[in-house]
Amino acid sequence: MSEPAIVVHDVVKTYDGRRISALTGMDLTVARGEFVAVVGPSGCGKSTLLHLLAALDAPDSGAITVAGHELAKRKDLDHYRAEHVGLVFQLHNLLPSLTASENVQVPMFERERSPRRRRQRADELLVLVGLPGKGRQRPTELSGGERQRVAIARALANDPPILLADEPTGSLDSKAGARILDLLERLREERELTIVLVSHDATVAARADRIVAMLDGRIDPAAFASDARAAAARRA
Amino acid sequence: MPPARSSVTVTPVSFLTLILKNLIRQPVRSALTVLGIGIGITTVVALGVITAGAKETASEYLRVGGADFIVAQKGSADLSLSSLSEDDVGRLEGHTGVARVSGVLLHYTRVGNNPFFGVFGVDPATIADRPLVAGRRIRGPGETVVGYRAVEKQGLSVGGTLALGAERFRVVGIFRTGNTAEDAGAYLPLATVQRLSGKPGVVTVIYVTVEQGVDPAAVAASIERRSKQLAAVATLADYSEIDQGMQAMDAGNLAISLLAVGIGAIGVMNTMVMSVFERTRELGILRAVGWRGRRVLRMILLESLVLCLAAAVLGLGLGWLAVQGVMLVPAISSFLEPHLSIAIVLRALGVAVAVALTGALYPALRAVRLSPMEALRHE
Repeated sequence: MSEPAIVVHDVVKTYDGRRISALTGMDLTVARGEFVAVVGPSGCGKSTLLHLLAALDAPDSGAITVAGHELAKRKDLDHYRAEHVGLVFQLHNLLPSLTASENVQVPMFERERSPRRRRQRADELLVLVGLPGKGRQRPTELSGGERQRVAIARALANDPPILLADEPTGSLDSKAGARILDLLERLREERELTIVLVSHDATVAARADRIVAMLDGRIDPAAFASDARAAAARRA
Repeated sequence: MPPARSSVTVTPVSFLTLILKNLIRQPVRSALTVLGIGIGITTVVALGVITAGAKETASEYLRVGGADFIVAQKGSADLSLSSLSEDDVGRLEGHTGVARVSGVLLHYTRVGNNPFFGVFGVDPATIADRPLVAGRRIRGPGETVVGYRAVEKQGLSVGGTLALGAERFRVVGIFRTGNTAEDAGAYLPLATVQRLSGKPGVVTVIYVTVEQGVDPAAVAASIERRSKQLAAVATLADYSEIDQGMQAMDAGNLAISLLAVGIGAIGVMNTMVMSVFERTRELGILRAVGWRGRRVLRMILLESLVLCLAAAVLGLGLGWLAVQGVMLVPAISSFLEPHLSIAIVLRALGVAVAVALTGALYPALRAVRLSPMEALRHE
């Protein structure tokens, strides 16, 4: 059996001098190529979990291993983010002064020195996410769904094995949201991506292979069961 | 499956392009920053060009008549204020190792619109050394030879007259030495200039030529040892040492440069702190997609460097224009030729780089120390 893509063990994360507990002993294992949806109400700790997986923040205790890298032991977390994970935010977080193509090229600066090759790869990724010919447009000239596609292309810029998506459809209408989820499913199949998607929407989560429901900073088996049933019903 | 190629080709984005785009986002702020630093560099350039011109003129004085060095009054605030007696000239004539001496009295008087027209009183035998481009040499007390620049500026000509106060002198020749101050002035017999200036028996400096095979430095040192009131000036460095005006110019130049760096650095810091603060969230995004801290640091420093180099180019242009404006004043243009040297260009660039790095270091370090998570939360 191959090594899991993600292992989260007994992770605790607090804020504001330990007065606010975001994660209270979180455990999670995600297999390679698996599409996992983390669901739960606002404040349950699902976004915190994603930020810890992306090494944007560090846990108070516990261990997180992603793609074989134990994050607490790594000093070059920038390199980890550039090489091993791709991030998609709820609000696309594209740089407004850059075109779609330039936004996709931004993460490549740490890896690819040739501007021509960066541009070629950005072109390819924009085609991959269904935006051929949109490379010259700025974020303000794109629809919400298109911006999120550019953000996904940017997340794939350095060909990471893991994609972490924080409410990627949260700011989109249902049709645009569905198309984003179609794209994520296709990418998972074509590129054997491991996807961890955070959402408070059970409909979105239903597109995943597995739903992990959280409550009060940890996995809640009861919530998991009900969400899983709901997901199964929607798939059927 | 490999993705299909797009039919649309977009421009590859280089790191420098990113930096330029960041600067263009706030065009007014960037332009004002460039203007502010540019004005500082303008001052540095203008003062540098004028100081270099003054030094060039000074070094030309040292080469007059092929002399090895000049002797002036020790402690005089300015070389032109030096006052020696003709007895000193006589004493130096007999000094060991000295082949030839020539006392020169420098007198400034108004001619036309130039209040500082230089009149050089010399032994007519010395005037023979001046290379004439027209006319002949002085033969009598009522005659003068004038520099070609004086001819251009004062409308003089051979056969015409040069009015010095109430007296008129016949222009018998025109010379061209390459010395800015000399070429803008006139030569007359020493006794005539002593009378005109009311300084009988006085010379300003003494030009000394040593005997063949004798070390000029040794003769100069021996002259200084023998007379505590005399200072030998062989090089521009010696000149700067005894000429307080030159020292003041050098000190002023340094002070203005430091002031320009200080004020410019504060301006750049203000601009870059604002820029970093406004882009906190974007910097968080860059870190979130894997940019290393040192790349962010490099980006902020390069943004600052681009601004300051643009300011240096602007400052060099404005500085040169400012000097041209100053040169419209006849009193200055008569003895000073602007001299834009590579050293001044390098100084302007050095000031720009110093301003860029000192001004951007704090905001750049602040940007690097930002936690990506906190930066992403920034609204």
